Amino acid sequence: MATPGTAQPTSVGGMDTFNIAHGFVESLVRGMRNSFLSDSDYHHLTQCDNLDDCKMNLGETDFGPALQEESTLSPTILQSAAINKLSTEFLYLRSQSVAPLSTFLDFITHEYMIDNIMLLLKGTMSGRDINDLISMAHPLGLFKESTMRSIPTFESNSKGYADLYQCVLVDTPVGVYFAKFLKETSQQLGNAGEVRNVLEEVEIEIIKASLQKFWLEDFYAFCEELGGETAMMMGEILRTRADTHAINVTLNSFGTALNEPSMRLSDRKRLYPSFGHLYPHGTAMLVNAHDPDSLGAVVSQFSQYAPAWTVHTSGVDKSIDDAFYERDVHQLELAFEGQMHFACFYAYVKLKEQEIRNLVWISECVLQNQKESINSFVPIFSQHSPWRVKNQRR
Amino acid sequence: MSDIPPPTRMNQQVFKLKKKAASSGHRLLKKKADALKAKFRDYAKAIAATKGNMSQHTKDSFFSLTQATYAAGDFKKKVREGNMVARVRVGAGVDNVAGVKLPVFTEIETGAVGQESLGLIGGGSKILSSRSKFTSLLSSLIKLASLQTSFVTLDEAMKVTNRRVNALENVTIPRIEGILDYISRELDELEREDFTRLKKVQASKEEKIKEEQVKKEEERERLKKEGREIEDAKGGDCMEEEGEGDLLF
Repeated sequence: MATPGTAQPTSVGGMDTFNIAHGFVESLVRGMRNSFLSDSDYHHLTQCDNLDDCKMNLGETDFGPALQEESTLSPTILQSAAINKLSTEFLYLRSQSVAPLSTFLDFITHEYMIDNIMLLLKGTMSGRDINDLISMAHPLGLFKESTMRSIPTFESNSKGYADLYQCVLVDTPVGVYFAKFLKETSQQLGNAGEVRNVLEEVEIEIIKASLQKFWLEDFYAFCEELGGETAMMMGEILRTRADTHAINVTLNSFGTALNEPSMRLSDRKRLYPSFGHLYPHGTAMLVNAHDPDSLGAVVSQFSQYAPAWTVHTSGVDKSIDDAFYERDVHQLELAFEGQMHFACFYAYVKLKEQEIRNLVWISECVLQNQKESINSFVPIFSQHSPWRVKNQRR
Repeated sequence: MSDIPPPTRMNQQVFKLKKKAASSGHRLLKKKADALKAKFRDYAKAIAATKGNMSQHTKDSFFSLTQATYAAGDFKKKVREGNMVARVRVGAGVDNVAGVKLPVFTEIETGAVGQESLGLIGGGSKILSSRSKFTSLLSSLIKLASLQTSFVTLDEAMKVTNRRVNALENVTIPRIEGILDYISRELDELEREDFTRLKKVQASKEEKIKEEQVKKEEERERLKKEGREIEDAKGGDCMEEEGEGDLLF
């Protein structure tokens, strides 16, 4: 067994060696776990009549300092303050981490980088000012400022885009995914697919879905490589995420061009990740799903997703997205159990995201005076969660 | 009344015609004003009804947007950056109500297809429902805008028409009636003058005749006294045979 001083920093480490390299950062995350809003906080917030009350109530929580500079509160201000707080905390974690945790944390940011790149590219094509676009970008997904500013300097023609790709995007971590996407698309289009044609012809959402698929597969491969508890927990989380991705793509493609039989095989199939519980049999069946009923037939065969589907079909006050959110929160809370793995970091970011969604929802309901549906958010680490209550009753 | 028209019969005819024209014009304008008033009331009712359910509708639409943002993340940026081709356009037309041209707005579908795959990774159904709510809100908004502009224009037209009706009623027709009165009075006066003049002439003629008669009688008496009767069997004057006297007309 290696002595503590010579522990290899490039491995996760087991029960005995994890804390050497990653103990400090993990303790930071566990401390931050306490900053989530509790049941009583949510209760007070839902009782507010206007946004100033909300601000007062939030002042006592972890969000207090972040909101102090703002004189008035609005849902957008709240959202941007919360996202900035999350990104500050995350960057602190990142700066304290070493490989392979640092790579893991980078993988988490790639998701937001994909978003930002699509925003910058599309915005530049429509001719928006680069500063506006940068201010709209997600803070967790920023890459080098110089790279971002150089994007609009490229000309808006096919040569310009090819250049843009060669010089700029290749350097970014997500360039790999872009390359894979372009290769696949050019095979599809049958010519030496020019970047510009692809960007203009394929809808931005489809590009984003493809890039996310590649990112998920990459992340999954990395976690499997890390092995141990991380592979086990993150594997489960990512498999669920891949399945959610596939089901959502199929469900939301009904009624759009993607649902044409010709497109289904070529384009929609490409959007299904090549891992997960649904892969390979489920995704093969999903390819042929052409309306909600056939989709339901496929999904109900898998026991994890059957309840979500019943929520969707009964769907008056809840939708399938709510069911997915609830299931995700359940899984991510469990990621904080056990130690010596990286899943808690991923869980922290995702749960914070859900909390931000909840806060924006509550503040919008207060603002628009829609008190009836104010409680349809998913609380985090709540004592009243359905799975906790069920366990307590035992 | 700067220039008083001379009180002739021709003028009397002229002004009689003017009065007729004015009253028929007044009648028609009154009908137009009534029609406009009825339409005005209809529009007011329609506007009140549309505004009433628009407030609830707007609330629902914006809330559905919140729900969609919760389910699908912030997609407003993506909509802004995407290819924005208008799916609905507003067409302007003209409607004719009792002779008044009112502007109306109609909804024209351009058939352009929007971003279909907006919620591909999550929340698609919520985005679709939000989209349909806002589409119906847009059509009721266009309807309301159309009603309101028509309402304002109708209001203007009504004011103008009512002003004309009142002007006719209180100024023009009384003036014409005044002139007609004046003319008929003057004509009567002239008639009476003539009549009086003639009567006087007649009276003086009769006096003359009477004097003549008296003179003749005196002559006759004198001549009688002189013993001889001059036979005035000549039948008298031609004048006497002809009846009562001059033919006056």
